[in-house]
Amino acid sequence: MEVTFKVYRKDPEKDGKPGRSNYTVELPEDATVLDGLLKIRDEMDGTLAFRASCLRGYCGECMMRVNNSARLTCTAKVSAYTKKGPEISLDPPRNVPVVKDLVFDWDAFMWNKIKTVKPWLEPTGEASDGENLIPDAAMKDLRKVMSCYYCGMCDEGCTVLPVDFNFLGPAALTKAYRFVFDPRAKDTRERLKILEQPKGIWDCVHCFEADEHCPRGIEPTKRILAIRDKAYKVGITNEKVARHHASFAASVKESGWLDEGRLALESEGLTNIKGLMKLLPTAAKALLRGKAPIPYLHAKRPGADKIKKIFEKGEGEKK
Amino acid sequence: MQEFDVLVVGGGASGLRAAIAAKHAGASVALITKVHPLRTNTAIAQGGLNAPLSKDDSPEIFAEDTLLAGDGLCDRNIARTFAQEASEDVIWLERMGVPFNRNKDGRLDLRPFGSNSRRRTCYTDDRTGHIVLQVLHEQFQRHQIPSFEEWFVTSLAVDGDSCLGVIALGLRSGRLDAFTARAIILATGGFTRMYLPSTASIGTTGDGQSLAHKAGARLMDMEMIQFHPTVFPKGQGLLITESVLGEGAEIVNDKGEAILASKAVPRHTLSVSLHEAMQNGSGAVALDLKRIGNEKLMSCFPQTAESARTVAGIDITKESVPIMPLAHRPMGGIETNLAGETTLRGLFAVGECACNGLNGAGRLAGNTLTEAVTFGRKVGEAAARYAKGAAKRNFPAGKLTDEEKRLASISGGDSSGDSPGKIHSELGKLMNERVGLVRDGAALKEALERIQGLKERYRKIRVRNPSRIYNYELTSYLELESMLNLAEIVTLAAQARTESRGAHRRADFPERDDRNWRSHTLVSLVQGTPKLNQKPVTG
Repeated sequence: MEVTFKVYRKDPEKDGKPGRSNYTVELPEDATVLDGLLKIRDEMDGTLAFRASCLRGYCGECMMRVNNSARLTCTAKVSAYTKKGPEISLDPPRNVPVVKDLVFDWDAFMWNKIKTVKPWLEPTGEASDGENLIPDAAMKDLRKVMSCYYCGMCDEGCTVLPVDFNFLGPAALTKAYRFVFDPRAKDTRERLKILEQPKGIWDCVHCFEADEHCPRGIEPTKRILAIRDKAYKVGITNEKVARHHASFAASVKESGWLDEGRLALESEGLTNIKGLMKLLPTAAKALLRGKAPIPYLHAKRPGADKIKKIFEKGEGEKK
Repeated sequence: MQEFDVLVVGGGASGLRAAIAAKHAGASVALITKVHPLRTNTAIAQGGLNAPLSKDDSPEIFAEDTLLAGDGLCDRNIARTFAQEASEDVIWLERMGVPFNRNKDGRLDLRPFGSNSRRRTCYTDDRTGHIVLQVLHEQFQRHQIPSFEEWFVTSLAVDGDSCLGVIALGLRSGRLDAFTARAIILATGGFTRMYLPSTASIGTTGDGQSLAHKAGARLMDMEMIQFHPTVFPKGQGLLITESVLGEGAEIVNDKGEAILASKAVPRHTLSVSLHEAMQNGSGAVALDLKRIGNEKLMSCFPQTAESARTVAGIDITKESVPIMPLAHRPMGGIETNLAGETTLRGLFAVGECACNGLNGAGRLAGNTLTEAVTFGRKVGEAAARYAKGAAKRNFPAGKLTDEEKRLASISGGDSSGDSPGKIHSELGKLMNERVGLVRDGAALKEALERIQGLKERYRKIRVRNPSRIYNYELTSYLELESMLNLAEIVTLAAQARTESRGAHRRADFPERDDRNWRSHTLVSLVQGTPKLNQKPVTG
């Protein structure tokens, strides 16, 4: 079949401005997108830069956007994309600096972020003592997480990274999960302290895009939430987050629903003048646009007493 | 110029383990690799890694199984040392964080695998290589070892019979630089990408073996290439782990009837039986995984299910997978001793690119990863020891400018419609058809002539892309040179060995011939051409 690939181009040795090249190639019916790229580079244009390694969906190296969604080109069949017409667009992933054509900066995108989560286990005991005795259930969860082949599709789909590129992102935080929940790790508190820093676990907005994008069903968002839970339980969390949680719960317990004004004030801390000052512009805008009623009163919702009882029951059970 | 005590080339399991061991032994170490370590060919290993841990097992029994699979061509002392030390290296991996599957007592579960006579294969589902690689990379980062990733080694620098270092091209910077070290360890992996299709990754092109050969090191047993029996043969070739056979899968004909005794059989025997069955009118042969049962299939072989679906379009819980034997891993490589020393001073080799005599004419299933970690450790330690006693090398600046000139000379100009990809396709087909699982004198002679023709064409090709930044046209061109060089050597060695032994099957010499051939084939470069020699098997 004849296919035209419309490929994103960028040459760091020229003006570095993005452009596009079109290549029309003849491919067998069962060809993959990678087969097409290899043929283009070999026969038509040796300057085209893209990466590939395992060729069979084991490694994640050839991730890019095929018709605007992130895929591994080695498993993406051309025929799946040509039903509406013989054209396929190829672009680097979103949220990442491009070096040349489809070659982007994996270091900045993922590897360097993984390095910051202390991505190793401190060994426990000596090999000569034999293996650690651990039930398989604990290992099974880790094997699932470690089936991650670092394709970066979770980071590609993340909604925080376009706003803040320095957010560690779901891939690095999922890597951290593998240590936080490894029964052999003895430095969990230290790692949680790293993870609760700004740009870490609390910057995730749990939009669940990462879970939608992960091709292996590892559910990175759920892993991030699990790390948060663990950190909160052992008392490793920054004060603002702790105040935010406490205020959220208190508000719902007392009135049956969320008092957003109170949440904002209490999260910053009522003695934190600098933090409260930062809220002023937002409050002013809200007032101007009629989003904040005057006087600001937060009424109980109907049935608030029942909600309060649920809280009290829960607190009783916890004790 | 970068300078270290020990420089490791290659970021797969052997290279990472060697780097960690050398650093642990007190050496200043750096790693240089053409792809990020987590993208190396180790990631495709599936079934598991051997350690004689069960009560009914012992290093002696493990060594015997290894020797049996090697069909009389293993070095007995190497196999014994390996079997003695394997368990501790596998336990080390567990201590470092590999989430191995466990039995009900919480100990490492052991799976039946290939022709191992005992249950001794430790595993993490069907992703053992992928997960072991991650843990090795974690520990590599823990040791804070400098890592030059996406640096492509273009040549070894030698002075007489000693290796001074390497010259490499930084793919990102486009800069050519010299790396010198007292000890250089090649851990560059195999070369079965010269077969198309095969089970190899795109970069499994034998760079290390070819560079070492060109620099004057000797290669050994290059004709010994393991053909994996259970590979889906379309596209690039998709390996289905042989461990499914131990769990109840069967090799079936088109009527769905089991046609072969496939349990506890060495890979080369199984591959040859399969080949014969296909020749003798069974036609298409397939792997029936349904017999394992859905629950076990999905819990123990999740990756197999996923790859069969995404790559082959097959639902393994419902359909059988067509298979045929395809080139998997070489047993041969750069000749080394137990410490990984090659015939060049200061140059070491380990893992799939090396040949220390452990695997002989056939590698036992599950030995590859154990070999990588056991010998990775031993060779890393040996290189660090060697570096301590070795003098600082003088790396003449002229070598770097010479290499600059060489690379410039292959750039620019017209290739008259020919290309590295076209030559590679022809080579891959030729190797499968003429230097494949079953060989004969006439086919090998024809193959040699045609490889010469491909080399002629190769010499006329020029790299069109003038840039040095992420110039994969240039790196594929250099990789093709390695494959052509090694294809010639594999064919020469296969032609020389006039017997059938292990993975080497000659239709015209069907018997094993211990009187003339209980010896290794050696290949060295003499005045620009590969010259063959023999060396008796020791021990």
